[in-house]
Amino acid sequence: MAAANMKAVKLRIKSVQNTMQITKAMQLVAASKLRKAKDKAMASKPYLRTMKGTLTQIANENTDFQSCFTKAGTSEKRLYVVIAGDRGLAGGYNANLFKFTEKEVEGHDYAVLPIGKKAVEYFRHRGVEIFTDAYAEVAKVTISDCFRIAKSVCEAYEDGEFGHVSMCYTNFVSMMSQVPKSSALLPLSDFENPELDENGTRDLILYEPSSEEVFNAIVPEYLAGILYTSINVSVASELAARRTAMEAATDNASEMIENLSLFYNRARQASITQEITEIVAGAEGA
Amino acid sequence: MANTFHLKIVTVDGLAYEGDVQRLTFRSIHGDLAILARHINYCTAVGMGTARVLMEDGTERTAACIGGMCSMLDNECHLLPTTWEWSEDIDIERAEAARDRAEQQLREAAALSEEARIRTESKLYRALVRIGSAKQ
Repeated sequence: MAAANMKAVKLRIKSVQNTMQITKAMQLVAASKLRKAKDKAMASKPYLRTMKGTLTQIANENTDFQSCFTKAGTSEKRLYVVIAGDRGLAGGYNANLFKFTEKEVEGHDYAVLPIGKKAVEYFRHRGVEIFTDAYAEVAKVTISDCFRIAKSVCEAYEDGEFGHVSMCYTNFVSMMSQVPKSSALLPLSDFENPELDENGTRDLILYEPSSEEVFNAIVPEYLAGILYTSINVSVASELAARRTAMEAATDNASEMIENLSLFYNRARQASITQEITEIVAGAEGA
Repeated sequence: MANTFHLKIVTVDGLAYEGDVQRLTFRSIHGDLAILARHINYCTAVGMGTARVLMEDGTERTAACIGGMCSMLDNECHLLPTTWEWSEDIDIERAEAARDRAEQQLREAAALSEEARIRTESKLYRALVRIGSAKQ
């Protein structure tokens, strides 16, 4: 019996070792990809910040409400752009984002524009209305794809299909921490902090040729830029989450192997001891 | 110097420039324009063309500047172009190859769909802007 048990333990060690090899490889791949993705995400952060800052200021100081992008839409329906990953095995990366999104959309009539295979699968499974699933692979989305997405979203918004457009993505806080976040995209009046000067006056801004034309030209660009930078940030978050998850998995596997080897060695010693006892007993009996 | 203003040029690929400058010239969707210090609060969309930046020390740098927006608020100018390439960084050979390719496509393909034609044309414009900016 001991021999059979030993064999099972040995097999188990082998299989854990194989799994560990895979998780270790995934960890290393994620770590090396992460470096590049992080640089890219960090490089696009100033753009995101400046763009948001400028548009918030403009939205606050805007007194022209001719462009449909600046005033709230009449439709109650919302569009959520959800940026998730293409693959699993990234810890809670996808699950956290979906949980967060569920909370965001609660109580609204909504449609989603999923980016990333996991997001497409998730929302299709739940029977949520999908705006387009042409951008299933987040890793392959380029800046020109972002322009195309932005254009189609703007057109749908102009047609009054949606009253609000928001985005859910995962913010890259640090290597160890990635937090799901949502951000309003349209209309521009959705931006928070409607601060006025101390004396309650607003600065006027000159728009050339006209505020309407400026907004119509800027808004698709702004959407594309924001989408592109958010995708970069999300990809970096995904890789960081995967690296952490795989690191934990590798650690767990090596701990398991340690325990199993201990058990195996004990069993081996026990069987040797038993054999010796049997031999001695046999010799004495003779 | 009171005649300078703070300029920040940011693209999706990162911060292209930040510092005090005397003058910024670029092409908006409405035509060429220059921004000097103490300009009125201003906002416009950027077209396609060569941009010039007159630095604080009087030197001038040129760049290919395409798309995006420009805002001037409280003597602080933010230029957020889709692409911004300093003239010295432009790969002329690549731009010329892109121009030739686009021209050939436009000549040959009469059956080009409307969307493809627009895309090829904008490729051609971009290449021409790059070449024009690099040669200055």
